[in-house]
Amino acid sequence: MKTPPFLLLAALLFWGWESGLLAVGALLGVVLESSRIIRARWEVADQDFRRLWTFCVLLALALVLYVFATNQAGGGFSGMVQGPGAVRNAAASSVNSATSFFRWLPMTLFLFIAAQVFSERGAVPLAALSTTSLIVRWRRARGDGLDERYVDVSYAYFIVCLFAAGIHPNTGTYSYFWGQCVLVAWVLWSLRSRRFGLAAWLGMLVAVVAIGFAGQYGINQAERFIGSFNAQWMARFFRQQTDARQSLTSMGQIGELKLSPRIVIRLEPRSAGPVPAYLREASYRNYQPQKSTWYAGGSRGDFSDVSSERETTWVLLPRKTNAAAVSIACYLNGWAQDLGAPEGLLPLPSGCGRLENLPLFILRTNLTGAVLGIGPGLVIFDAHYGPGATIDAPPDTGTTNRFDLMVPTNEVPALDRVISEMNLSTTNEIRLRQAMEKFFADKFTYSTWQGADKRATVNATPLTRFLLASRSGHCEYFATATVLLLRQFGIPARYAVGYYVHETSGSGYVVRERDAHAWCLVWNRAAGNWEDFDTTPPSWVATEGARASVLQWLSDLRSWIGFQVAKFRWGQTNLRQYILWSLIPALAVLLYSVVFRRRKKRAAPGSGGGPAVDDARPGRDSEFYRLESRLSGRGLPRASGEPLAGWLERALAEPALADLREPLREVLRLHYRHRFDPEGLNAADRQALARQALACLQTLSRK
Amino acid sequence: MTPANLEAARQTYRNIAANIAIIMRGQSDATRHLLAALAAGGHVLLEDFPGTGKTTLAKALARSIDAQFKRIQFTPDLLPSDILGVSVFSQRDQQFHFHEGPVFTNILLADEINRASPRTQSALLEAMGEAQVSVEGERRDLSELFFVIATQNPVEFRGTYPLPEAQMDRFAMQFTLGYVPAAEEVAILTAQEHNHPLNELKPCATLADVLALKRAVEAVRISEELKRYVVDLVAATRTAGGVQLGASPRASIALMKTSQAEALFEGADFVTPEQIQKLAVPVIAHRLVLEPSARFSGLTARSVVGDILKKLPVPA
Repeated sequence: MKTPPFLLLAALLFWGWESGLLAVGALLGVVLESSRIIRARWEVADQDFRRLWTFCVLLALALVLYVFATNQAGGGFSGMVQGPGAVRNAAASSVNSATSFFRWLPMTLFLFIAAQVFSERGAVPLAALSTTSLIVRWRRARGDGLDERYVDVSYAYFIVCLFAAGIHPNTGTYSYFWGQCVLVAWVLWSLRSRRFGLAAWLGMLVAVVAIGFAGQYGINQAERFIGSFNAQWMARFFRQQTDARQSLTSMGQIGELKLSPRIVIRLEPRSAGPVPAYLREASYRNYQPQKSTWYAGGSRGDFSDVSSERETTWVLLPRKTNAAAVSIACYLNGWAQDLGAPEGLLPLPSGCGRLENLPLFILRTNLTGAVLGIGPGLVIFDAHYGPGATIDAPPDTGTTNRFDLMVPTNEVPALDRVISEMNLSTTNEIRLRQAMEKFFADKFTYSTWQGADKRATVNATPLTRFLLASRSGHCEYFATATVLLLRQFGIPARYAVGYYVHETSGSGYVVRERDAHAWCLVWNRAAGNWEDFDTTPPSWVATEGARASVLQWLSDLRSWIGFQVAKFRWGQTNLRQYILWSLIPALAVLLYSVVFRRRKKRAAPGSGGGPAVDDARPGRDSEFYRLESRLSGRGLPRASGEPLAGWLERALAEPALADLREPLREVLRLHYRHRFDPEGLNAADRQALARQALACLQTLSRK
Repeated sequence: MTPANLEAARQTYRNIAANIAIIMRGQSDATRHLLAALAAGGHVLLEDFPGTGKTTLAKALARSIDAQFKRIQFTPDLLPSDILGVSVFSQRDQQFHFHEGPVFTNILLADEINRASPRTQSALLEAMGEAQVSVEGERRDLSELFFVIATQNPVEFRGTYPLPEAQMDRFAMQFTLGYVPAAEEVAILTAQEHNHPLNELKPCATLADVLALKRAVEAVRISEELKRYVVDLVAATRTAGGVQLGASPRASIALMKTSQAEALFEGADFVTPEQIQKLAVPVIAHRLVLEPSARFSGLTARSVVGDILKKLPVPA
């Protein structure tokens, strides 16, 4: 080993500590470093190195397969192949597979480095490493003499350890940075040039570490800054992932509200009848005009877990009669830091009581009806729903918190003016709603263009300008205005965010990003439940659709491919299992060819081949070949270009074989005569060859 | 060829080798190669630094055999007629008489062969290849035993001409002597303290003995498989990387014959792969012409042949 003493031990300990495999790291390190104390060495032939390398590569392949196909935490192949947990496992493994493969690299390659450390030469033939590389193979075919080169791979292994240690789950601490600094400094110290003084060396080291630290710290900070940079102009262009606690509207923003035609949800009806028109992700109670933001409100917006009935069935409302069902496919675009898995709000039809075939780890709901799932990045599930009760908490109209009736004071004058303009005589809530719907339909228009006239000023909020001046806007204006108007009438209402379903595609429906919608939930006092109420003029769908590009089919194709890939990635198809099943025989064939092809080669050496050449080879029945394979098995294989006599002397140098030397030489003499003398052996000598070879074989097997 | 004849031939070899060993200390391998070439009917090119004993080895062999021996000291102004012979007009009988050159002999020492121009060197082509010379339109056969030992200094030395490829190919073997260990060198000094031992060397074999040795070598058996191995070895040099010109079938013939001789020397009556491997480098390497780029990158003809020996599966 070229590495300084205990460097590999330290690197392996570091790796073990960072990746939670401290015991393994310590064991591997001690084994490697023990080579400095243990003087025993083995003669490892080039071919053995080649085999070991092939084995390591196969092992890595198998590991990829394993982590890809199973959940590390348990499961195993059997769980993968069938059973309800399969999809869940697949989802979890996708998160971990890439990282765990690299994290386990030091273990995968350990055999190879150990072989080097305990081999007599202390280096591995470059040709062994090249068995997987086509380029080097090609160069070897040209005879560039690469075969002769030997390399020490201990530094390479050290780098692999550092790299593997870097792939550790607990980010956010600087332990890895400082650990690798120390280890790299150790290496550099042992390799430093004596031309420069100690001070210069230390100075350079400190400078490099400082630059490295600044770089990494800077990137961290920049990432955090961008992450927290809640600029409103960004919100205008991107439909952000829906947040259950707050919904930043684009009210008061200037410019075109433009959302992409990307398909985000696919629906398949599971029962007769229409599909739900609205898929709600979340609803909010508290409007802050200054920030144009809706908040879920209070600590009651917190989530509580829902326990699954079976592994993939989740009951939201136990006593609900679900009249209809729809299959929904949607992405979970967020990331749950604590669990290390994707999370997202599920778009659900109103009155959803039961979710089936939903492979989530955790499902949570809050009091404003948001359902948060943590699991694979794509879920395809059946939502059972029906009219009536919803999971939303009843209106909070108590004395302490009146979230569902709260109207910001600076919006009140405008609302009052609109109410007086509507000139309503009825107090019937149903009539009221109809009148309001008619009022908005008649007097307001839908537009995605936000002119300067709707900007918030000192005098008027964006909503005031919408209600009194421009009378045109997008769904967020309509929904916010409606909620606040209803509250002004004393009717509890909430602001809901989700998607509007209208576009058919084949037997189902697709929902695009631009179908994102806001509407309101209104409390039906008579029925005692929340109902969807949408005052946005129905023309909005057509307005949005009119902006579709002629190349939409292309983007739809892209969305479809993305969907199929996500389905595969998150284990929503059987493809993964098919791949696993087909990989196993492939791997077996590979292993077979590696193990047995060599043997075949040994059984039939010679560059030629074909029957004509075989005829020219008398004496292939000699018993000496059994002796040769037996002696090779003792760790001294014969190179293909090495004649028998020289090899036999090499093998017989072993002191344990001292008493076999003369008999074996005699057998070789007879064997040579049998093979290479055109006159061959006479019957007696042929028998003598067989007899003596067998005697030597028996002696050998006793040793 | 009876076993007794083989044993007699072997004894001839042992006698000559022992005789040479008196003079050439620490050069048993070189002596064995030399005798293998002699017994196989080939010629030998000794290439080494000045003063390593090339000429001494050749003279020791010549003295050990009771046969005709001539030497030519090659110089830049040597002419082909100086080697082959020339017709001289006799005033006495008004006729041309052919005066045989030094090539008409049994053992010819061509000393420092690469000091002569290629034109003169080529005069030996026919003699070495076919044991005959054509002078003035007349074919003259050389004697049954015709053995050329040429010596040369490394080509890079001053005042040398490289041998033409065709000439190189006609040497069955090329090998070097090398410097002997210090102890051996001291022994050489001791032996020459008063008198050169070469002067006292007595012949130990007759011409007939050597011819019998040659016939005995031809009787050594070689299997088809090993012939195939010889051919494969030589053929591999033609496709090896960095080689401009590979070895010819003449190399295969030489390798087979010298291997037969080596087998005879070892006391066997058939050839084994070891003997072929042992002689492959001295028989093949000098015939290869390397690409200039390969030569500059440190490749040598010997290493090319060595690589082929390692890679080509040997019959076992």
